[in-house]
Amino acid sequence: MDATIGIPPAVNEETEPFWTAAQQGRLVVEGCTACGAESFPPRGICRSCRSRETAPTEITDRGVVYSLTVNHQRWLPDLEVPYAMVLVEFPGHPGVRVAGRLRGCDPEEASIGMAVDIGFEPGPGGCAIPSFVAVPAGGGS
Amino acid sequence: MGATDVFERRAVISGVGQSEIGRQVDRSGFQLTLDAVLAAVEDAGLEIDDIDGLAMFPGGGTANLPGYSNGNLYEVQDALRITTTWKQGLVEGMSLPFYGPAQAVATGQARHVVIWRTVKEGSAARKAGGRPAYGSTKPVAEGPLAWLLPIGMLSPVCQVAPYAARYMHEYGVTREQLAWIPVTQRAHAARNPRAVYRSPLTVEDYLGARMISTPICLYDCDVPADGATAIVVSAADTAPDLRAPVRIEAMAGVVEGRPSWEQWEDMGRVGHGAAQAMWARTDLRPGDVDVAELYDGFTIECVWWLEAMGFCGTGEAGAFVEGGKRIGLDGELPLNTWGGQLSGGRLHASFGHTAEAVRQLRGEAGETQVADAEVAAVTNVGGFEAGAALLTRW
Repeated sequence: MDATIGIPPAVNEETEPFWTAAQQGRLVVEGCTACGAESFPPRGICRSCRSRETAPTEITDRGVVYSLTVNHQRWLPDLEVPYAMVLVEFPGHPGVRVAGRLRGCDPEEASIGMAVDIGFEPGPGGCAIPSFVAVPAGGGS
Repeated sequence: MGATDVFERRAVISGVGQSEIGRQVDRSGFQLTLDAVLAAVEDAGLEIDDIDGLAMFPGGGTANLPGYSNGNLYEVQDALRITTTWKQGLVEGMSLPFYGPAQAVATGQARHVVIWRTVKEGSAARKAGGRPAYGSTKPVAEGPLAWLLPIGMLSPVCQVAPYAARYMHEYGVTREQLAWIPVTQRAHAARNPRAVYRSPLTVEDYLGARMISTPICLYDCDVPADGATAIVVSAADTAPDLRAPVRIEAMAGVVEGRPSWEQWEDMGRVGHGAAQAMWARTDLRPGDVDVAELYDGFTIECVWWLEAMGFCGTGEAGAFVEGGKRIGLDGELPLNTWGGQLSGGRLHASFGHTAEAVRQLRGEAGETQVADAEVAAVTNVGGFEAGAALLTRW
């Protein structure tokens, strides 16, 4: 399934660390060096204590699908459908929810509460987009 | 009510006007705008020279979709030779069409404001060979859309779908239940000559319709349309000059939570902040509402508002609408009596809902008239940007 048809993100001061790390297959969010809270998307300020001292923080944990949708509509010419998109939360990282595509299972098998591993794939305009990987039921850690 | 200044009671909705509405209307957005504005001013019992405030939603240059056809506020001002003492073109979302204008007339910044919304999304969809991608008017996705469009959430359908999925998961609500919202609204549209789709729709049709983005099917989506709606908001003390004003009993607009579709914390509960703020400004209660014009860009948005406004409890909307009787024209809460955006056409931002609420409260709603309608609820959008109001008969 090709995910390169689409509209690329504008990259700015706040979001550049995320998109650069994405190219390396790493998920970084915004960590507060004052209180330790994490937030996403990055705003250059801690959403918990409002400190301006923040730094990119990598998350490597397995995530859990909060909700999802399977898109069947060809919104752009040559868009390959259907594909599943998931909103993923991380039990050890409150304040972080990341949207991405889902690979590793049939789109219709995607479900709320399923476990996913962090991943990326080529997206529009040469960017890398979050593309979570389904963990088979009963799959190892 | 305590010491709250319910300033909106110093404002009234004095006129509503609409252009021809259809899947495709072969006239410019500007001409449709003029049709609606002139009709609304006449409906108010006013002359164009009485108008001293202009507003449109959204403001110029903010179109994320082809077919946002408000035109340019200055060109409308020029064409109608109006001098304004107040104007507004919001770039971000808007709580309610009459919110800003009511603030303006309540504070004496203007006496009579006209606000319009013009869409040619029906024509745009036809030209694109289908409903276009959101944000496709721009080369890159900016702001909140930067997290959505690149992964393939290329339409509001995809962006709202996870809310419906989460809601149905949490509360065990089924598509068989939710079908009654579009099905009942289609029955209302059949009685409204302006509605875009008027042929009968059944639960079986709904369940057999193609999926757009699960669990949202074709009939859960509003209908791209061409048309303009204009609303005149006047200072309440001008009532003797007005043909048939309608009161604004209470209104509230709230921006809360996280302002991007994918970040809303609790996708099972939406719009409660705005509804709560609105109910705090009135002694009326949900049981006093005679007719509900609730925003329905998608079926699930009606669900949010039915629950947020307190017409039923959280998670109970499926049972509330099931069978359609309760939300029918002679039910306890007639819902989207003009067909809503699902069948009446996507006039957007509750402009169509507001126009219908005014017609209902005046007793001018024709075949969709609810008997003795004295209190109408109007809501807009949902999620991080939400507006709720009660309008009442003069």
